[in-house]
Amino acid sequence: MSRVKRVAVTSPQTRLAHSRRRAPGRWRVPTLEPADAERAARMYREQRRRALPAVALMFGLLLVLTIAFTVAPGLDSVRVLGIPLSWLLLVAVPYPVMALLARWQLRRAERVERE
Amino acid sequence: MAAILSVAPVVLMTLLIGLRGVAAMRTTSDFLVASRRVSPLLNSAAVSGEYLSAASFLGVSGLVVKDGVGALWYPVGFTAGYLAMLALVAAPMRRSGALTVPDFAEARLASPALRRIAAVVVLVIGTLYLVPQFRTAGLVLSAVGGTPYWVGVVIAGTAVSATLALGGMRAATYVQAFQFALKLVLFIVPAIWLLMQAGAENRHAALHPVEFTHFAHETTVSFEVAVTLEITAPTATRAPDGSVHVLPRGDLVMPGGRSLVFLPGTAVPGVRGDAPLGSSGWQRPLLDLDGAGYPLLGTWAVLLATMLGTMGLPHVLMRFHTSPDGRAARRTAAITVGLLGVFYLFPGIYGLLGRVLAPELYLSGATDTVVVALPSRVDGGWAGSLFTALLTAGAFAAFLATSLGLLLAVSGAIAHDLLRGGLRQLRLTVVLAAAVMVLLALPSTRLDAGVLVTWGFTVAASTFCPLLVLGIWWQKLTAAGAISGVLAGLLSSSGSIITALFEPPLDGWLAILVAQPAPWSVPLAFAIMIVVSLRGRPPSWSTAAMLRLHLDERPPRGPKPVHSTSPGHRSSTVRRIARRLNR
Repeated sequence: MSRVKRVAVTSPQTRLAHSRRRAPGRWRVPTLEPADAERAARMYREQRRRALPAVALMFGLLLVLTIAFTVAPGLDSVRVLGIPLSWLLLVAVPYPVMALLARWQLRRAERVERE
Repeated sequence: MAAILSVAPVVLMTLLIGLRGVAAMRTTSDFLVASRRVSPLLNSAAVSGEYLSAASFLGVSGLVVKDGVGALWYPVGFTAGYLAMLALVAAPMRRSGALTVPDFAEARLASPALRRIAAVVVLVIGTLYLVPQFRTAGLVLSAVGGTPYWVGVVIAGTAVSATLALGGMRAATYVQAFQFALKLVLFIVPAIWLLMQAGAENRHAALHPVEFTHFAHETTVSFEVAVTLEITAPTATRAPDGSVHVLPRGDLVMPGGRSLVFLPGTAVPGVRGDAPLGSSGWQRPLLDLDGAGYPLLGTWAVLLATMLGTMGLPHVLMRFHTSPDGRAARRTAAITVGLLGVFYLFPGIYGLLGRVLAPELYLSGATDTVVVALPSRVDGGWAGSLFTALLTAGAFAAFLATSLGLLLAVSGAIAHDLLRGGLRQLRLTVVLAAAVMVLLALPSTRLDAGVLVTWGFTVAASTFCPLLVLGIWWQKLTAAGAISGVLAGLLSSSGSIITALFEPPLDGWLAILVAQPAPWSVPLAFAIMIVVSLRGRPPSWSTAAMLRLHLDERPPRGPKPVHSTSPGHRSSTVRRIARRLNR
């Protein structure tokens, strides 16, 4: 990070207190101001609506590939550039597709928050 | 000597970069989550660096040699876990403001008992995952450099605990991010070199695997651990003095630490308890575990354990807490999916070449070392030694980066969650925990690292995954439900895997579900959490506690960022004092 030399500006007593064992912090009842609560509830619904399809698509991708390999063993003997097609599908398909899915999901999740 | 030359720079660089991360450190937050100042790109490199452990750098290729192409499903599951994390966990968990997973559990459900149970689960997962890292460090160093096993273990333990005790999470972040770049280069460059050097014949053989039935040339097999060989035909071996000795038909128990030299053309013996190498199932792109005959179930059992386990690994979750806010945590997860995807394109190359060039590793059960064994098979000269050294360095970087994160998670669970200590206790715990892990790793040469890591993933998948997913997305979750679900997941998954270790006389799908319990233990944990929660009543603040996690950090309104001391942002104390001053 920055090359600026960092200097401790706490008092020695504060430093001492920080490093000492402390009593368990009291748990506080979580509260939300009405405006925040409303925004949070909207966020919750919107994000859930966007998260579920992404997870479903991911499971779908893995399900389609595994089932394809099971019902079509012929994929092993079809060769592309000498490599069995099923091996190629196993390595070259999931990673790019998952990276694209991640990008898609990230965009959608951030768009909700920008509003 | 070569081993020392390759490992010493990595260890030194780890310590130097770790020292660079040592900065003014005053609170547990500084120590455990690097004061939450880590940018998404740096953090995702650190997450990937931490995640690419011995299992990824060496293990996957070894599994390809041993079990077949289907083993390439493991890394797919590893990567998919981050996609699930991105969609379901990353941002809300960071917004909880917790430092550790037990912290999160307490913030959401207000139960000190749950906090302690979660801390114990962190310890279980951490131990199951750390011991294999240290063990593999010892094994690889002894395989490459001929040092005794304990040397590698002690070097790894010392380097990791020194870096952590001094620099905490900040040092770990820099080290892991650097080691990700290092591992990427040290994995990809040798892979390309191997492909070019292997020659057209070997490349063709790698793509057209045949069963390994006869030794093509004189082959030395060193047995690190005891193995029972099933000799099906009289087998000619060469004794150390050069005379030929024919092994009779029958079972031969090979004690650890011995070696056999097989003559060319002799039949390859079988290994008790393993399917013959390169039998027809080897090239199927599905995981037919133990030859049980249910490849689809076997593949999905592994996928579920790796995918959902990744979501619940405490050291990975801890890294997400170092992000400044929820949005950065989410970005971290998304970038990680891409970074891991690049790395995982390559283990298959080592696996396929290893199957052709070093199939006899399978006999001694040392397929884990195939990655570092390959360069010398391709080139006997200095280039082979150089690439062996580079790969050893990369493998050592893998152990160090993963152990750093795990040790921090374990120390956080002990000193922060169980004992409620401060900074000094944390530093002390790091050193003590490392010492205990080294002591545990010393006698565990014989353990199957794969089983331990699978165990860790399955426990994470059946405890923290349901806890996080339900805690974040379901307001009716109660503390009682969470506690019973976590306990059920921990006991059922561990119990099942321990049962499998005793090799019960089971076969078919039952054997798969006992050895890989994720397909039933994860739904069981979810179901118990839901049923117990529904039978109780969630407290009145439950909805607020859940919605709080979804409230985003609001972007600054208007053209200028709001100053942090403008009236609307002051705390009540500041407001009161300001009123008094303005009076």
